[in-house]
Amino acid sequence: MTDIVRRSAALPKKNSRSGEILRHKAFYLMLIAPVVYFIIFKYGPLVNAQIAFKDFQALDGVWKSPWVGFRNFMTFFSSIYFWQLLRNTLTLSLGKLLIGLPLAVILALALNESSLRRFRKTVQTATYLPHFLSWVVMYGVLLLLLSPDEGLINEIIKALGGKPIAFLQDPKWYPWVAVLSDVWKETGWSAIIYLAAMTGIDPGLYEAAEVEGATRLQRIRFITLPGIADVIITIALLRLGTILDAGFHQIFMTYSVPVYSVGDIIDTWVYRQGVLDFQFSLATAVGLFKGVIGLLLVVFFNRLARRYSDSSLF
Amino acid sequence: MRKRLPLLVILALVVTFGAGAQQKLVDIELWALGAVTEAGAPPDNWVGYQIIRDKLGINLKLVLEPSSPTDQDTKISVAAASNSLPDIFGVNRDMLMKIARQGLVAQVDSMLPMMPIRTRDHYSDPVLLKLATQNKKLVGLPDPGAMPRVEGLVIRKDWLDKLGLKTPKTLDELVEVAKAFTFNDPDGNGKDDTYGFGAWYESTGLSSAGFGRRFDYIMGAFGVAGMWNLESADKFQFNFRDPNFRKAIEFIRKINEAGIIDPSWTAPNKDEFRARWKQGKFGIFWEQFAALHTTANYKDFDKNFPNGELVPIMPPVGPGGKSSNGLDIAGARIYAVSTKAAKAGKVEAIARLLEWMASPEGYYLCGFGVEGVNFKKDAKGYISLEGIQAELAYTHKSQQPLTQLRNMVYINNDIELKVRYPSYKSANGKTIDPLAIWNFFKNSPYTESTGAGMIDPPSNVNDFKRFYDENLVKFALGQQPLNDQTWADFIAGMDKLGAKDVEKAAKAKLIDQGMLD
Amino acid sequence: MRKAGAKDEILYQIAVNLYLAVIFLIVLLPLWRVLMLSLTPFGHLDNSFGLLVGPKDWTFDAYAQFLSHPAFLRAMRNSAVITLGGTAINLIMTVPMSYALSVKSLPGRKWLNIFVMIPFLFNPGLIPSYLVVTSLGLQNTLWAVMIPGAIGISNMFIMRNFFMEIPQDLTEAARIDGASELKILFRIVLPLSKPILLTIGLFYAVGHWNEFFNPMLYLNDQKLQPLPVLLRNILMGVNMNDYVEYDAFSTSSVQSLKAASIFISMVPMMMAYPWIQKHFVKGSLAGGIKG
Repeated sequence: MTDIVRRSAALPKKNSRSGEILRHKAFYLMLIAPVVYFIIFKYGPLVNAQIAFKDFQALDGVWKSPWVGFRNFMTFFSSIYFWQLLRNTLTLSLGKLLIGLPLAVILALALNESSLRRFRKTVQTATYLPHFLSWVVMYGVLLLLLSPDEGLINEIIKALGGKPIAFLQDPKWYPWVAVLSDVWKETGWSAIIYLAAMTGIDPGLYEAAEVEGATRLQRIRFITLPGIADVIITIALLRLGTILDAGFHQIFMTYSVPVYSVGDIIDTWVYRQGVLDFQFSLATAVGLFKGVIGLLLVVFFNRLARRYSDSSLF
Repeated sequence: MRKRLPLLVILALVVTFGAGAQQKLVDIELWALGAVTEAGAPPDNWVGYQIIRDKLGINLKLVLEPSSPTDQDTKISVAAASNSLPDIFGVNRDMLMKIARQGLVAQVDSMLPMMPIRTRDHYSDPVLLKLATQNKKLVGLPDPGAMPRVEGLVIRKDWLDKLGLKTPKTLDELVEVAKAFTFNDPDGNGKDDTYGFGAWYESTGLSSAGFGRRFDYIMGAFGVAGMWNLESADKFQFNFRDPNFRKAIEFIRKINEAGIIDPSWTAPNKDEFRARWKQGKFGIFWEQFAALHTTANYKDFDKNFPNGELVPIMPPVGPGGKSSNGLDIAGARIYAVSTKAAKAGKVEAIARLLEWMASPEGYYLCGFGVEGVNFKKDAKGYISLEGIQAELAYTHKSQQPLTQLRNMVYINNDIELKVRYPSYKSANGKTIDPLAIWNFFKNSPYTESTGAGMIDPPSNVNDFKRFYDENLVKFALGQQPLNDQTWADFIAGMDKLGAKDVEKAAKAKLIDQGMLD
Repeated sequence: MRKAGAKDEILYQIAVNLYLAVIFLIVLLPLWRVLMLSLTPFGHLDNSFGLLVGPKDWTFDAYAQFLSHPAFLRAMRNSAVITLGGTAINLIMTVPMSYALSVKSLPGRKWLNIFVMIPFLFNPGLIPSYLVVTSLGLQNTLWAVMIPGAIGISNMFIMRNFFMEIPQDLTEAARIDGASELKILFRIVLPLSKPILLTIGLFYAVGHWNEFFNPMLYLNDQKLQPLPVLLRNILMGVNMNDYVEYDAFSTSSVQSLKAASIFISMVPMMMAYPWIQKHFVKGSLAGGIKG
């Protein structure tokens, strides 16, 4: 008894600022290396990002290149395709989020609920494999399914008496192809994190529910889902923050001129304009623009998350 | 004094030796466009390094650039942006112009007299030199890269024979043949799986494509091959203003509607096009002779169709009596010297290196290896592998690293051509001679268009090109109506994006460079 | 409440497993096609959409072309070094940060979170990062590939959230007993966090293993180049082969090569994951409370 008293007496008084800091000094020590890393490798480039407001000349370097204010931004905003790029980017990205995330959760649930252990493990392994396919290869896979003269789906359509559809070159279909193929590729991999979260749920809760006579579905609704709710929210917020990244590699490997109107996204436009054309200032400016939009979205949704749940990013 | 003498002697010796050793090696970093990048750089004990060190006093650091031009561009542009370009490096023309504008490469006119043999063999083509010139200054050393007129129209002769058709000469005849290829089962397999035309919309920036290079024989039949009319200063303009251009687009639209062209022509990449002719999906197409008929590339077609025959034919003559197999645009492999290297006084050493590469010793060593070990010279002086051990032949996989620099020494002379494109026997015993195909192409009509390669793109080239590509493709696919109004709208849209300004600037530049009169 | 009967249980399992079976097929078919593609002689035309290429038609040319490459083993070794070393660095840097930020009572936590969020949202892109790396002289070393990405911000946030789930009673109890924070981290928190450590570790490892762009950019010396760069160079080399040299060094089609290169990169990950899965034991967290 006296030991405990002595130890608590040794702790500095709570509620004093410096006291709090001292009490947490081990944590601050843990943060030193990561923070230094951040300053050098995350904020360092941000300092260099000032070239977004400059006309970057390699010989002058970042600091001596001349300022041009918002000119680079205006080049982007005044492109005749600006609104279309924005619309395409948001459509594809939101499509992937709104379809992909729920499907990943459902897959994780199904895997979690299945009592056939071997089967479950096989299925899980198979579902995450597509994540490793590059879009270079994926394009070939898409052709196999969707090519107008010999794709599997068109063969079925023709057999049913219909006219083949050029899915990859038809602006009506391309967005669906882009969203669904990405979902196919990533769902299994995304489910991993939800499964990991499910292992952290106290089995005692399940046992108690079984005793109470809850159905499986009720158990999912009242135990599993709430148990992984904060992971879902965290991931959703993170994806909203990068909503203007709609998947450059995928689009780049699968889009073609006929579907520019629905497939050209901000990043593909920047790629054609920026890096290859040596207009780095422009590419950096667009990157900052994307960050601003992402910031607004994250702040807004984070506030919602704080109000209606107890997990948020900050 | 006596005691000091030995000391003085020693000192003197040290100084002279030191001065000798002071004859330090110059460090040169070379980023080369390797011949077979993934095979790796020459090993550290390559005799070439030693010769370069001992004879030329150069410590050569060799880096092989990635295989794909896009990756090359990325690496160069990123090094340029951080002002860390290597001393001498291979670079694509467009990228060179961009970094030259930033002052990151040295002017190399003064180097030419420093390396007489090299200049005589490599840098004496005025057209090539023009390609590497900016503001009247030579900013790169252009090696003869691409060989001219290597592409043209070919047709499945076995299909013509099977259907009893003659070689088509005019555009109308070609269309009839295409219809037969599509609907009359020319490969006799009982399936409806062939097309007449096959192509790929190669969107290649402002310099070449009118409607992609693989349609140029069609555009040429209407007299509008390529993006520009370069016949004379008076006629200079974008080809799309020519009413015949619209007729050509209408033609493409018609063949698309009729279903006689393989619909994959709008695919994102070349692979599919290449795969599909090898799979016998279409019978009339435009291709490069090496991609067609060299051993590796022909092999797959041969396996699928042992009796298949691809022969070159003259481009079709259009309603106006014109024809063209494509554009003559001189191309080069350019090596540039960084401003940094020039400032460090390395230009003279670099010239020495290049001169050595052009000398017989350097040429054979870099191009073919060690004589007697990796190759032999026959009586006529041509390269032969007689009596050479198979694993040591310069063509053997294991020896690939030794000749990575061959593209820096090759000058497309007879020695090289005989070796590079030998004739061989196909599966059913026919003799395939790639060089014969190339000769055919060389003797077919082409449209001179080198000037187009020098036109600077506008700052909004991205939007400009997209508007152009998107509208033309939509017209061709029937995704938007093609009539007087829509065509006028298209031209108006191009003007709104600055077409007239581009024409003005281009015309001035080309006249100034002597490419237009 | 009606008690869930055995019949309901069976129906439920049928539904769940049927769903999984459908997903399995949807995923498997195209994958199988890619595998067949890697084993198929070029231009092989058949009626089964390339799905049923019989074993007697299999050719391992594509695989042979990659595996027999003299630089293959060296590239593998480089990839292994980058993956193991890089992942170790990742975890060493990410774990302390995630853990420290998971402590709700940490003063200044809100500002630290914002400090971390900003670079996540604002990614200045290629050139600014390249300039930093080269100004530190890291180019052409493996460090350039392992350090700049040491902390993946979204990975860090996810890990932080997992740490926040650990019941405070455990850690508080240890604190009262006089344990140091470091001891708490190593003896209590980390053992309970095996699933997340393995998962995030896996994410990082896969990222390293498949990484092509930064190595292509920063590693000039071919002796340092990892597997993806080699594979891509071989692929691109075949593609660019318009002017084929005398010896055709490609015996397979481009498509077979592409497919084979994918499977070659996939194999280590396919082997690693089931091993990791074993540690995803249910209730490992709760076990801590009871124990």
